[in-house]
Amino acid sequence: MAEVSEQQKQQRAKELASELKSQKALLKKSKRQLAMVFDLNKCLGCQTCTIACKTLWTRDEGMEYMWWATVNTQPGKGTPRDWEKMGGGFRDEEPQAGKLPTRRDFGEAWDFNYDEVFYGGKGNSVHLQPSGDPDWGPNWDEDQGGGQYPNSFYFYLPRICNHCTNPACLEACPRNAIYKREEDGIVVISEERCKGYRFCTEACPYKKIYFNHVRQLSQKCIFCYPRIEKGVATACARQCPGRLRFVGYLDDENGPIHKLVKQWKVALPLHAEHGTQPNVYYVPPISPPRFDADGNIDESKPRIPTDYLKYLFGPDVEQVLATLKSEMAKTKAGGKSEILDTLIVYEWKSLFGPFTKDPATLEPRKV
Amino acid sequence: MICKKVAVAREQLIDPVAAEWKNVPAEPLKMDATPLANQPSEYIKASRDEKQIGKIRNLLVQAAHNGSDIFFRLTWEDESQNVDITDNNLFPDGCGILMPLNGGDPPIDEMGSKDWPVNAWFWRADFKDVARNTIARGLGTTQFSKQCPIQVKSTWGNAAWAVVFARPLAVPQQQSETVQLEAGKSVKIGFAIWEGSNGERAGVKSFSKEWRELALEI
Repeated sequence: MAEVSEQQKQQRAKELASELKSQKALLKKSKRQLAMVFDLNKCLGCQTCTIACKTLWTRDEGMEYMWWATVNTQPGKGTPRDWEKMGGGFRDEEPQAGKLPTRRDFGEAWDFNYDEVFYGGKGNSVHLQPSGDPDWGPNWDEDQGGGQYPNSFYFYLPRICNHCTNPACLEACPRNAIYKREEDGIVVISEERCKGYRFCTEACPYKKIYFNHVRQLSQKCIFCYPRIEKGVATACARQCPGRLRFVGYLDDENGPIHKLVKQWKVALPLHAEHGTQPNVYYVPPISPPRFDADGNIDESKPRIPTDYLKYLFGPDVEQVLATLKSEMAKTKAGGKSEILDTLIVYEWKSLFGPFTKDPATLEPRKV
Repeated sequence: MICKKVAVAREQLIDPVAAEWKNVPAEPLKMDATPLANQPSEYIKASRDEKQIGKIRNLLVQAAHNGSDIFFRLTWEDESQNVDITDNNLFPDGCGILMPLNGGDPPIDEMGSKDWPVNAWFWRADFKDVARNTIARGLGTTQFSKQCPIQVKSTWGNAAWAVVFARPLAVPQQQSETVQLEAGKSVKIGFAIWEGSNGERAGVKSFSKEWRELALEI
């Protein structure tokens, strides 16, 4: 009898696994995929994207420590601190255990002594400073970078939710609260279904999901879908003064995203080894040359170690850098480069694919 | 399992340390890990070891009713009192009582089914003195009902939790959301405990893996 029951159990386990698989397949299905390309050669670390997002989406109670869009100096610990060492994602399609970053890892929202300085009559004697003694924040190691003088180096890495094609968060949620929007592949969390269990944050290898301690649910970048639905680009892209954030559909052959990612292959996903198929792509940073021991320029070696870029963007990064360099050589010699013209973005709105509408045409958000 | 008929007022029995509880028989229950195969997430299956699930393995259950209200007192040893979610990686302790919503024999280890829903009375330490009335129709489908007819009081001391749930036997205005109970009848019942310090939440918990029959004395 016991043996039969064991068999029945195994049979039922198989049925449940197969039911789960088909549920998840439905939640992952999308007809099109929105994507972004960030050109790291143009990011100046000004955090305008960060603030644009913060101002628009994460001002409510419980969202104080959330930064759906971040920009960190690389090499660096990133946001949350050491997120690259926290596991998650997939290996050979098998989900990998991940860690939950603490609030300190994300960087708490500090309280400042505004009242004292601005209204307490101490404007000339007290510095504006955070209360307590914070030892970490979302941009704590800004501009530290790596390397030794005179070959020190750094670059900026803007990050948002990657709106993955195979989202680890979606797979992890035991309540099917996470799904890809069928029309555009944006990954969203249903606030009706979410119970704040945080398996999604554990599983996300990019650690881009935050827990709202007031509402007790998980929240993350929504790719500004209420704007997208009205033909307006994401706030982070629209506000970026560096013109480096491209927005569009991956399959739009006339759009810059398709050209940069699929046709010219000069934009790569971040840490693609996690197997989630991220939909944010990066044009890797071209290095200045190194100085040799005598202080002469050594063109043979890049300042940013290629191995570090391979760690972030995979082995294809070498080919991308070679392509970019040859395109630059072409223009230096008086030729034309469609790739460089696209990356330069002569026409601001060419960044936004079909999402060029002015946000001022939208109704203000109800507060 | 017997639900003892007592002549004690709600105000007294809702108190987890009330002396009246000494007169109510206690049923020790052996708890088990929820099976990994039943976790509705490939991530949970891949990242957990069933041997580590369900830290609390012993539960004492007392049940009593006074003709109008029913009371359950759940006590279990727990050295760590996990109450508030003060950080992203912290989870509260909790407990729950499960009964078929409309009778029948729903699968207890699958949180009922589409046709045979279950009703859970749920308490979590961070809810303080608030309980949730929950309906489920299969794994990962629990939903809190808007109205909750359940009252709860809890206390932690001497490395143990004591939690009392109280509810009117019948809640006719919530027929479709919460189980209807009646003296003289019996009902299938199950229990679950979440140990916060072990990261237990959702289906990751210890539970009584078979239904017990709870007979309500006349």
